[in-house]
Amino acid sequence: MREALLIARREYVERIRSKAFRVSTLLIPIVFGLIFGIGAFSAKLTGGPKHLVLASNDPILAESVQAELLALRGEGSRREQASRLSVEVRAPVTGSELAALNAEVEGKRIDGYLWLDAKPGTTQPEATYTSSGSGDFFGKERIQYAIGHALVREELLKRGATSEGIAALLKDVDLKTLHLKNGEAVASDAGKSFWGAYVMTFMLYFAVVFYGVNVAHSVVSEKTSRVFEVLLASAKPESLMLGKLLGVGAVGLTQMGVWIVFILLLSASSLGMTLGPGGLAAYGVTPLQVIFFVLYFLLGFFFYSALSAGLGATVSQESEVQQFTMIIVLPQVIGLMLIVYILGNPGAWPVVLLSLFPPCTPIVMSLRMAAMSVPAWQLAVSLVLMVSSIYGMVWIASRIYRVGILMYGKRPTLPEMLRWLKYS
Amino acid sequence: MAPLAELDRVSKRYEQKVAVHDLNLRIEAGTMFGLLGPNGAGKTSSIRMMVGITAPDSGTVSLFGRPFTRESLKRVGYLPEERGLYRKMKVMDQLLFMGQLHGLTTELAAKRSHAWCERLNILDAAQNKTEELSKGMQQKIQFIVALLHEPELIIMDEPFAGLDPVNATLLQDTLLDLKKTGRAIVFSTHRMDQAEKLCDEICLIHRGEAVLSGSMRAVKSRYERNRVIIDFEGDDKFLSHEAIAEYSEFPGHVEIRLKEHGDAQALLRGAQQQARIYRFELVEPSLEEIFIQTVGEKVDA
Repeated sequence: MREALLIARREYVERIRSKAFRVSTLLIPIVFGLIFGIGAFSAKLTGGPKHLVLASNDPILAESVQAELLALRGEGSRREQASRLSVEVRAPVTGSELAALNAEVEGKRIDGYLWLDAKPGTTQPEATYTSSGSGDFFGKERIQYAIGHALVREELLKRGATSEGIAALLKDVDLKTLHLKNGEAVASDAGKSFWGAYVMTFMLYFAVVFYGVNVAHSVVSEKTSRVFEVLLASAKPESLMLGKLLGVGAVGLTQMGVWIVFILLLSASSLGMTLGPGGLAAYGVTPLQVIFFVLYFLLGFFFYSALSAGLGATVSQESEVQQFTMIIVLPQVIGLMLIVYILGNPGAWPVVLLSLFPPCTPIVMSLRMAAMSVPAWQLAVSLVLMVSSIYGMVWIASRIYRVGILMYGKRPTLPEMLRWLKYS
Repeated sequence: MAPLAELDRVSKRYEQKVAVHDLNLRIEAGTMFGLLGPNGAGKTSSIRMMVGITAPDSGTVSLFGRPFTRESLKRVGYLPEERGLYRKMKVMDQLLFMGQLHGLTTELAAKRSHAWCERLNILDAAQNKTEELSKGMQQKIQFIVALLHEPELIIMDEPFAGLDPVNATLLQDTLLDLKKTGRAIVFSTHRMDQAEKLCDEICLIHRGEAVLSGSMRAVKSRYERNRVIIDFEGDDKFLSHEAIAEYSEFPGHVEIRLKEHGDAQALLRGAQQQARIYRFELVEPSLEEIFIQTVGEKVDA
């Protein structure tokens, strides 16, 4: 263990000290910042004040639809954009005046117009929406919704209902969704259950692609520089691999830690606002889930790093490492593709098996934990399996690494590698 | 006393190729042991089995009188044939790391690294990155890495390859000094002249098998001193002596190969009667000649 720690420390110190580490720690957030900045900037450009004209041959209908449209701006995900919406009513207008409106749209004086042609004797008007760009900023559904509500309101008024009564009737029903967790009904939201899995998948994917592969590079560079023969004469190959895994892994975790702390400091206030007064609990996230999230992330990270160490041990040139990224990422993609099925059937036996299969455990298990209360024995088994598979990977990697001394140039075939495991 | 390292009927094969076959070696304390042979003879394979990088297919490797364990590697210093250092690391950091890996405390590793750098004249480069140094300098560092933990058994694969004569002599003298303090040193080389100068014991390997082994004296004594060099003045009629198989004559100098069991002393007496002898030398065969002769025989057989 002393050897493994020495090796881990060397890897860690040498990497942290390197210019590459400092540059990437600074540069990656800057690049991400720029990307988000550009995105926000372009949204701002397109999301300026919108001027909409409501033209109709029926002034009462037009005003009613206007009221509905303006009422909508306070709601929903497009709140930001809609809040800058102004709706101008021109009524009564005849169909022949539409050419003038078209010219206004062409001339960018207005962003679009909605033409409501009320046909006497029918309840449904003919509605046409014309806008300047193919990019629709308002949404077909909202317009349909507004017109529909307006029609109902007008009809009810005609039948003698009060405006208060109509407003109460037309209000959206507040639907609560619950699910049972540990025998207790708790608020659930399918959309919110996703976040843990998405964050897990994203973080794990990012960590593995950026850092897991570093372990492979580190293993290969030791082989090409032939340091490993000196090391093998003084330390057990298992200690070497374990040390490498811990050292290189810790570098990745340090860098991610720096960024997370940085982000938290920057956005502490806005994050609190997003999460609301209940914090994480409002999202149905329990402290246990947070603990397991961290645990599964670390185990997943080290599992994939160990896998990359093993793959690194089979090659003799750094350039060959790239080919492995696909192999490493694949099991994570499987977890992601099955999200809907897993959330729908968190207790089905194929899902249980998948959640116990170490490469998929972190993602599938965090999904299941969001969707149900996973039996303790399954959590225990998954942890044991992950830890032992990490150890197993280290063991296999160290065997291959050791026999790799005898290998030059050509890549070993699978049967050769299996024979190597028996050597030494 | 048990030998520091012993290989007992050790064999190793890789896929189709036999690397080492039935090899026996005994390396005693206070000796310089040469593992000789042409390229690809099995020297490196034997050495790797001594330090446990590979395990023999059959036979046993014992260190310090006990079957091989990794624990005993703490008392072994190893210089691999292909040098390996962390290229980006500073020399001193590298030495400290390797020293600690061999079980030294940081302080002790620092003290010894400093002393060794001084002794091998590379103290000035100690704060440089390894990749900035010349090959010879890197080799010295590798050399120090193998010796930092003061091993009793020093195993070096081609330690002098690629060194200029000054540095080669420096390292040779260092090894001789270590031998005097009771360490056992095993090194492989394909340079027979080097081995002849340095080694107390040798083992000559050819195609994975030991073809000659024992003390340098014993090995040489097994081969007849059958070459005679005479510097003389006067009559050269003694060249028809019955002991002579063949000769090449130069003015005042003749090089003779004797017949098998030819009596050199009788030749000397005969020559003395006919000419004035300035030099009469019964030359022992060089290791190189022995090697060529032995391997040649094997090939014929």
